[in-house]
Amino acid sequence: MTIGEIGAALRGKKISVGELTEETLRRVAGANPRLNAFLTVTETAARARAALLDDELARGLDRGPLHGIPIAHKDNIFTRGVRTTSGSRIFENFVPDRDAEIVNRLNDAGANMIGKTGMHEFAYGITSNNPHFGAIRNPWDPECIPGGSSGGSAAAVAAGLIPLATGTDTGGSIRIPASFCGVVGLKPTYERVSRKGVMPLGLTLDHAGLLAGSVRDVAAGFSHVAKHSSGYVPAAHADLRGMRIGVPENFFVERIAPDVMLSFRAAVQTAAALGAHVTEIKLPDVEALNAVGRITQLSEVSALLARYVDRCSEIGRDVLVLVEQGRLIPAIDYLNAQRVRTVLARDFSKIWKHLDCLMTPATAITAPGIGETTVAFGSVTEDVRIAATRLARPFNVLGWPALALPCGFSDAGLPIGLQLVAPPQQEDSLLQVGAALEDAFGISGRRPTS
Amino acid sequence: MTHWKALAAAAEPPVPEDLLPDVIPALEKLEAALRVLEREVPPETLLWNGPEEQA
Repeated sequence: MTIGEIGAALRGKKISVGELTEETLRRVAGANPRLNAFLTVTETAARARAALLDDELARGLDRGPLHGIPIAHKDNIFTRGVRTTSGSRIFENFVPDRDAEIVNRLNDAGANMIGKTGMHEFAYGITSNNPHFGAIRNPWDPECIPGGSSGGSAAAVAAGLIPLATGTDTGGSIRIPASFCGVVGLKPTYERVSRKGVMPLGLTLDHAGLLAGSVRDVAAGFSHVAKHSSGYVPAAHADLRGMRIGVPENFFVERIAPDVMLSFRAAVQTAAALGAHVTEIKLPDVEALNAVGRITQLSEVSALLARYVDRCSEIGRDVLVLVEQGRLIPAIDYLNAQRVRTVLARDFSKIWKHLDCLMTPATAITAPGIGETTVAFGSVTEDVRIAATRLARPFNVLGWPALALPCGFSDAGLPIGLQLVAPPQQEDSLLQVGAALEDAFGISGRRPTS
Repeated sequence: MTHWKALAAAAEPPVPEDLLPDVIPALEKLEAALRVLEREVPPETLLWNGPEEQA
């Protein structure tokens, strides 16, 4: 059910917040042994809050569309009195004494936290194959990864356990799991959603955002967590007349799995059929953006995590390798990478003179199997981590808003993700285009059968 | 180009030897890419400071 449908049932007194919460807890308890999406379930607090929210509704106090809506928070987002591990052994007993700003805002809007979702260790990876808390599994195929690092949030939404979850995105960590799990993920403009109370990873790359089952559900959440929110939620039957959409003719259409490319091309045709003015565009050097992004991320993360290398037995090998790489990058190289970033950002920004939105595949591949480390594109073999991040990371480097939404399914029945990108602060455009396409694709309600 | 192995040995604490085959190749590639890119940066260029700056 969507947030709108749940809200209608609550206000029509077909269900109470208490009943909704019990049903959610029952489904989480049933699915979590298989998916491992939740690290912590806060059932006692959820029941107590449900009673409060029911009481408010009975007294005529309606906080709006999120009143009573079950939600989960990624486990690197501070929740007062509830352990917040960041998916790490080192923080396994860390209990914050305050809520993150994004949690505060969702609480004020009436959302009801069900628990904390699992993630890749320290949010530093895309598999969510966590060495300390176990692998999180993709609801579409439990032998596949859900993507990461917000893998638990994406898996929980995809399985229909909750309609909305928080996530963070430093190099694709909202959009990659959204793509692999067939849900919607919004990485807003840099700093548009407060990172206060979010465990930092990449200091100038981190974004807090949302995952949900539909674009309108993401919009409902975003309207509460965004600074300077317009409150925009796309209307039914949105069309794309007058919208100028750019489709890259370089980089974003190279080394793409055939079934992903097929769905992407179909999505472009759908946009044109909905009235968008679609043009091909040659983008500046995206490889350079990715190189700058990786140098930036390695350096910034190691500034935070290098202090723990003497506890290497408590850190997964994949993360430890990245932390060691970051420790070796000279300050001069980090700073010059930031100056290159300035030059690249200036070049890339010129595209917005002629466009309102960019459309790309969200990931070059569908969800790989758990433990797969490489992927083949014809005769070329690529590290899974690079294949998963190379279409997403550029927009962390630029700080532009980006939305991932499902646009099809592979022959193997795995979701395929589309990515929409807009100029800074233009999330409303993303949501408008995303909702129109989602309506036309007609697949957003599809959920895994098991 | 940087002698990454020497740098790894000189770090405090040193990077464990068994990690080096996974640590060094990526750094070599990133350094090669950065050396080309930084040559094109005008001298007056400042650090990236958020997306609005260039919008």
